[in-house]
Amino acid sequence: MSVIVYSTASCPWCIKTKAFLKEHKIKFTNKDVGEDQKAGQEMIKKSGQQGVPVSDVNGEIIVGFDEEKLKAALKIK
Amino acid sequence: MFYKTKILIVKMVEKKVSGKGEGDFDLVVVGAGVAGLAAGMYGARLGLKTLILGSSHGTELPVGGVITTTDIVENYPGFIKLTGTELADKLREHAESYDLVTISEEKVASVDGKKGDFKVKTNKGEHKGKTILFAMGTKWRELEVPGGKEFKTKGVAYCALCDAPLYKNKTVAVVGGSDSAAKDALLLTKHAKKVYIIYRGEKIHPEPINLKRIEQNEKIEVINGTSVSEVKGEQFVKSVVLDKVYKGKKELALDGVFVAIGHIVLSDLAKPLGVKLNKKGEIIIDHKTSTTNVPGVFAAGDVADKPFKQAITGVAEGCTAAYSAYECITEEKCGNY
Repeated sequence: MSVIVYSTASCPWCIKTKAFLKEHKIKFTNKDVGEDQKAGQEMIKKSGQQGVPVSDVNGEIIVGFDEEKLKAALKIK
Repeated sequence: MFYKTKILIVKMVEKKVSGKGEGDFDLVVVGAGVAGLAAGMYGARLGLKTLILGSSHGTELPVGGVITTTDIVENYPGFIKLTGTELADKLREHAESYDLVTISEEKVASVDGKKGDFKVKTNKGEHKGKTILFAMGTKWRELEVPGGKEFKTKGVAYCALCDAPLYKNKTVAVVGGSDSAAKDALLLTKHAKKVYIIYRGEKIHPEPINLKRIEQNEKIEVINGTSVSEVKGEQFVKSVVLDKVYKGKKELALDGVFVAIGHIVLSDLAKPLGVKLNKKGEIIIDHKTSTTNVPGVFAAGDVADKPFKQAITGVAEGCTAAYSAYECITEEKCGNY
């Protein structure tokens, strides 16, 4: 399973998204779009918008922290 | 003072309370911002079994509230400088250190009943409380101009703390003249090459310390007495249209628009109980006791009718409300000013 989180360091919903993944022991790659402009462009291209966080779960793009969508995409009951 | 404290402790011990999260609550706090969390902490110290219910209305976290969208807090006594999220975490940790406090992320749908027997329905179930504290706070007012909604998250943003790093070397504007707008602008200068502040009023009005910082910051340009009448772009924002000519033009080229044009009070849940609101929709409280006109119902923080709304004043009102709830339960002194 490939999980990428596009985030900025201080965004509260990004922190919450990452905490959720850690809580459910999901391995993920964090891309800090504040530090990495290439990652920022990648996020914008994938999601069609400029807000963080964005999660890419096996190609499914989830904008914001949406617990239900994340659970469904990650098959967490 | 010591004598009074001693009486409180005796009463607290005499009171029979059930375990954390079980059964009925002495105090149900609707809203888990700083005011609600402080009320929970203080309620527990007074022996009140307290439930704090938090939900989000936008960019803020459900537990912690609007302070979690603030980059730096410098006006909360005891902490020279910390982030809003750090302050919220400390208040949460403090409240949760008491077994009598339960914090739950639930969206409240309705509150009904009367003193001693309130029912709080949420998206996850129903809770009973002897007293109610409304601490729902406010949500950001949205920019209601053509393009405002269409370009939301496509250049129109409401959380500078979240999205400012995406505007590295870009040109952005903050719409609004408050201290929050000023702090957003100052945060944005860490990333953007140019930051306009566009304010419809005569002159922006942040705290003097932040006004001075703005005046000294070469990246910031303030446009007073001007409104944004349209946001334009293609896939993303490219410009805003102003209602007045500025430097020979009515259109200002921009990559991002950060909106900080005030708040809408979230007091709707209080209306069915007959709680009195002022013209702004704020809950009218007795400022000595945080009581409302309805016995057993209290309010604190940004939802209440205080002109000076700060984290520290909300926290104080929350503590006062918890004490008033305690008096209501133990001594039948339930307000109704």
